[in-house]
Amino acid sequence: MKIVLKAGGMLADYLKPDPVTHAREVEAGEGQTLRQILESIGVPPGHVAMAFVDSNIVHLLYVPKEGEVVTLRPPVQGG
Amino acid sequence: MGDALATQREGTMLKGFGGSSLRVNLRTGQVQRRPLDPAFARAWLGGRGYVCKVLYDEVPRDADPLGPLNRLVVSPGVMSGNFGPTGSKCCFGAVSPLTGAHGDSTVGGHFGPELKFAGYDLIVFEEIAQGPVYLFVDDDRVELRDASKYWGKGTIEAEEMLKHDLGEDFEIAAIGPAGESMVTFACIGHDFGRQAGRCGVGAVMGSKRLKAIAVRGTRSVPIHDLPGLKELTMGVIKRTSTHPNMAPWQKFGTAMFVGWSNEHGVYPTHNFQTTYFEPYAGIDGQPLVDKLLVSNKACSGCWMNCGKYARVTLPEKPTIHVEGPEYETGSLCGGNCGFDKIEEVAYVNWVCDQTGIDTMSGGGFVAFGMECYEKGFITREQLEGHELRWGSVDDFEHFVDMIVHRRGIGDWFARGIVYAAGQIGHDSIRFTAQVKGQGMSGYDGRGAPAMLLSYMTADIGAHHNRSWTITMDEDLGKAVIKGKAKVVVYLQHIRPFFDVVSCCRLFWGEVDVTVEEHIEAIRLMTGWSDFTLEEAMRLSDRLWNLNRAHFLERNGGPGRKHDYPPARFYEEAVPSGPGKGARLTMEDLDVMLDEYYAARGWSRDGNPSREILEDLGLPETATRLETLDLLGPLMAPLPEVRGERYKPKAF
Repeated sequence: MKIVLKAGGMLADYLKPDPVTHAREVEAGEGQTLRQILESIGVPPGHVAMAFVDSNIVHLLYVPKEGEVVTLRPPVQGG
Repeated sequence: MGDALATQREGTMLKGFGGSSLRVNLRTGQVQRRPLDPAFARAWLGGRGYVCKVLYDEVPRDADPLGPLNRLVVSPGVMSGNFGPTGSKCCFGAVSPLTGAHGDSTVGGHFGPELKFAGYDLIVFEEIAQGPVYLFVDDDRVELRDASKYWGKGTIEAEEMLKHDLGEDFEIAAIGPAGESMVTFACIGHDFGRQAGRCGVGAVMGSKRLKAIAVRGTRSVPIHDLPGLKELTMGVIKRTSTHPNMAPWQKFGTAMFVGWSNEHGVYPTHNFQTTYFEPYAGIDGQPLVDKLLVSNKACSGCWMNCGKYARVTLPEKPTIHVEGPEYETGSLCGGNCGFDKIEEVAYVNWVCDQTGIDTMSGGGFVAFGMECYEKGFITREQLEGHELRWGSVDDFEHFVDMIVHRRGIGDWFARGIVYAAGQIGHDSIRFTAQVKGQGMSGYDGRGAPAMLLSYMTADIGAHHNRSWTITMDEDLGKAVIKGKAKVVVYLQHIRPFFDVVSCCRLFWGEVDVTVEEHIEAIRLMTGWSDFTLEEAMRLSDRLWNLNRAHFLERNGGPGRKHDYPPARFYEEAVPSGPGKGARLTMEDLDVMLDEYYAARGWSRDGNPSREILEDLGLPETATRLETLDLLGPLMAPLPEVRGERYKPKAF
């Protein structure tokens, strides 16, 4: 199945999304957690401070659904 | 006084600036307005830059921070109040009663822009008033007014009263009872919940019997190339509005990082005893938004709205409104004090705001008291029959009241955590979470060595805004010691730059607004077509060295002896959670300090060398240090560029 990951900041170095939409469509296996998906495409989960689906926080153990847009964000740069 | 000043505006034609400075003698009541010197403006830019220069030049090295010879300096920098990206800040500075040397703290909101609209880039307060006063600034009309009716009122209450009396369109900066009683970590509050929180600037304001500053400005700031600036700013707004990081920031603000910090083994828990707080989910950003949020809140001209205005109801407590909790409060007044409900954290946040103490040092110092109580080093009798238990709102509130009104052992804490530890004894200094007297920010450096080095070497004591490295520590390895110091130096130049020009650092760190765009904005504001990033970084380097010299002149040398953290941070391993086992040694700290001093062009003792000071145009500072035997020999060849960028996108 396909899902869409969005990221900016330092995470864009790893995700390599479209520079305008910040989005990248990726292939994910059924039942794969967000952590497994990130590892499979070379995005270090340790750099993902949190993830959002429909503006709600989800965790790295979250299992995305087909077509879902998951926004990743890096940790705060220290407030 | 007001009539004398109500004359034609004296400002220069400097573009991007208000054009004038004010010097207020609180003892005589005299207020002088002077045009801003263009050479001074370019050399020091404003904000933290002006504060640093004024304090170094004017405050005698033996002056009591709470005495008449200290200065309270207020300055919005060049970007504040201009139509540029996120120029909303204002810097407050003084010789700090916590660290005994240069202190500065920057607040967002609307105060800085309003000062610029009134025509002022700098206010210097001297001496001590006979009785409580506030400074009234209404464009050219500047007066010291009686503040008796506001004295004793909480910070938020005083702001409400002044707005009621003067008008909603006045912006207020005020202290609370903690500032009035010169609690060394008292802050200056503004905009109902924002603070110039660190370094005890509120205590200095209180020592001068200055309750508040009220300002209304009705003019605009002259801009060199307004169409060009508009194009740049609108482009930044358009681009960042759809940035993927923007929506989470708008929804949760900084509070969302409690969980991340906890999962990464750096979240201070129970006075930094460990770095994992099991019930963290109750105080993360999600419950703040779900349970307490009333509305988002923004600084002047900002489209991020990261401030969260909350309504809190707790049994047997008044219903209160508070801005926050932000991450730092959510850590230091959260798990660090054992609070596991967002309502509790928000309530003690309000207690700190209203009394006028910094939630960071305040939370950290109360947590130290809680550990002392747990260990039996503080007795119930010393607490006026109360306790000081982890997670007790009543105990927290009562203890803060003892501190603010300096009752019993509250007076020890009011003087600072190092003083309190000295009075408590039992070698409790070893588990104080501070460097140079300043309470640590909400990250435990045992799980992030470069973060600990950042605390150790920060010019104002253990504060994260000078350098924040946890991403790099994650990336290069948490156990890696070598090779990180140069990045700390780089961050200590780039991050305080935003406090010099008075704009928000978050847009740079969070939504990819580049430093180059800020530099271009300054060119468009001022007309300084030759202004470069190199010049800005060189100023940051100059300020860092000047502050180091200031610290050594006032506290003695060698510098190295001041740079070590308490023993907990190099003797104890983290006992639980994802960071379990993380531990640093004294040898690790020395390796990092050696690298750091070499990268700065200092001596092995941590004293600046003549070579670095002359390179930065500070030969007189070198001579001052030499006279005091505080000048150090270079330990390595002077680096041509101090600091090293780690990863462009990351920092």
